[in-house]
Amino acid sequence: MQRTLKLWRTFKEGLTNFQRNGWLSFATITILSLSLFIIAFAGLITIGTRLIVSSLENRISITVSFNPDVSENRITIMQEDLRRFREIASVEYVSRDQALKDFLESNGNDPIIRQAVDEIGENPLLASLVIRAKNQADYEKIATVLETSKYQTDISRINFEKNRRIFERLNAISEAARKFGLALGVAFALIAILITFNTVRITIYSHRQEFEIMRLVGASNLYVRMPYIFEGILYGLCAGIVAVALVALGSYGLAGFTTGAFPQGSLLDVFVSYLPMLTMLTVTLGIVLGVISSFIAIHRYLKA
Amino acid sequence: MTKADSQPIVVFENVNKDYPGGTNALHGVSFSVFPGEFISLVGSSGAGKSTLLKLIYAEEEPTDGTVYFRGRPIKDIKRKVLPFYRRAIGTVFQDYKLLPQKTAFENIAYALEVDGRPAREIREEVTELLDIVGLGKKGHKFPRELSGGEQQRVAIARALIHHPQIICADEPTGNLDPVSTREITDLLLEINSYGTTVIIATHKNEVVDQLNKRVISLVDGRLVHDEARGKYLIKS
Repeated sequence: MQRTLKLWRTFKEGLTNFQRNGWLSFATITILSLSLFIIAFAGLITIGTRLIVSSLENRISITVSFNPDVSENRITIMQEDLRRFREIASVEYVSRDQALKDFLESNGNDPIIRQAVDEIGENPLLASLVIRAKNQADYEKIATVLETSKYQTDISRINFEKNRRIFERLNAISEAARKFGLALGVAFALIAILITFNTVRITIYSHRQEFEIMRLVGASNLYVRMPYIFEGILYGLCAGIVAVALVALGSYGLAGFTTGAFPQGSLLDVFVSYLPMLTMLTVTLGIVLGVISSFIAIHRYLKA
Repeated sequence: MTKADSQPIVVFENVNKDYPGGTNALHGVSFSVFPGEFISLVGSSGAGKSTLLKLIYAEEEPTDGTVYFRGRPIKDIKRKVLPFYRRAIGTVFQDYKLLPQKTAFENIAYALEVDGRPAREIREEVTELLDIVGLGKKGHKFPRELSGGEQQRVAIARALIHHPQIICADEPTGNLDPVSTREITDLLLEINSYGTTVIIATHKNEVVDQLNKRVISLVDGRLVHDEARGKYLIKS
């Protein structure tokens, strides 16, 4: 009971300090907000890049074309066999008729092409299976398996070699984006931590004489420390919310330039879809930064 | 109560205190403080008055020798218990040491809040103490809105809040004009008359001479005079 009362008092004290040190609180929140904004915005850009890369990944596939004499039944059996592989996400059957229809549609039903096809007398296109892997690094493995499988005599061609360079480039881009995003995030996080720590340290420094007074009137170190921990939480909470608002403004400002750049639409659309996660992470990071900074900064002023 | 029928509340036993850098603040100091006494600790700046008080409220530890509080060495008090010990000792300082972001009322109340006392009890006690020190209507003011004398009254009220057995006042009138000095001295005398032991460190001879109480004189960290009804003998 007494412990709860003391906890409540230290919380109230932290809140009162926060209000009465208006300008200092404002300055601390401003600096912390900017640091968090940089991290959150870098995070949003990284998320956006990942989305672009993964949407491109979804568009690539291996197409296995079959000899004209292979029956639909045999192809269906092979389709079922392929579905059992862990690495394969989907196997889609495209019949010869469907392939022709798709071909004509993709050429805008050009009458000259249609006439050329009619002159051949029969459908020149082959039935195929369109295979999508869960991980693009597995395409090469899948191609090898197909080339050495019992179906190899049924297969007319596999278009993997043609796409190999695209796969490799995409892989490199995806990897580079991941590394760059991570390095940028870590660098910004470190800068933000340093800035936040120094700002909170200055705030605490301005209170240093008060710690001595508090201890002299019989406050325990924990009782002296707690209000500043709560103040750190409040700084983090406010700064986190401000930072997310700034990211919203930034995304809104860039919405016009980024329309269609992302699978979701613009950067603003990406922001809206990830708003709950982004808010939670930014606010949590703000609180953690505020609390740890307060904790470390105050520690040096507390002796027995 | 006389010295003969009571145990000393504080005992200094051959106490030395050296600070890092070789400063010898106290040298072989021994004396006893009995309940209800009013002691003036006199000496010029750097004589060791503040150090001596700091040893009582456990802000410093002796280099050699022992300081006892109610028969127990202060240095044996565990860190965790130190806040409770400090609540048994009221401290008053030249620069008042009030929390600038708290009102007079809140400054006094803080000393009870740390103890986990209920809000109603705190309100009653603080209001009563503000009346005793003559600041009944100024509880809502912040330290910057009060005069030096008024701030010192708040500090004294705060020192009294735990009903301490002893009050250590380090130059309590150092920053005050003669009128306020007189008022603060009278207030400390009044507190002493209720039985609280008071030790004040001062270099103001008019304060000491007016009190006509026990005087301990320090010169360069050594106790040179200890008189039951003394005068200010140190030449500054």
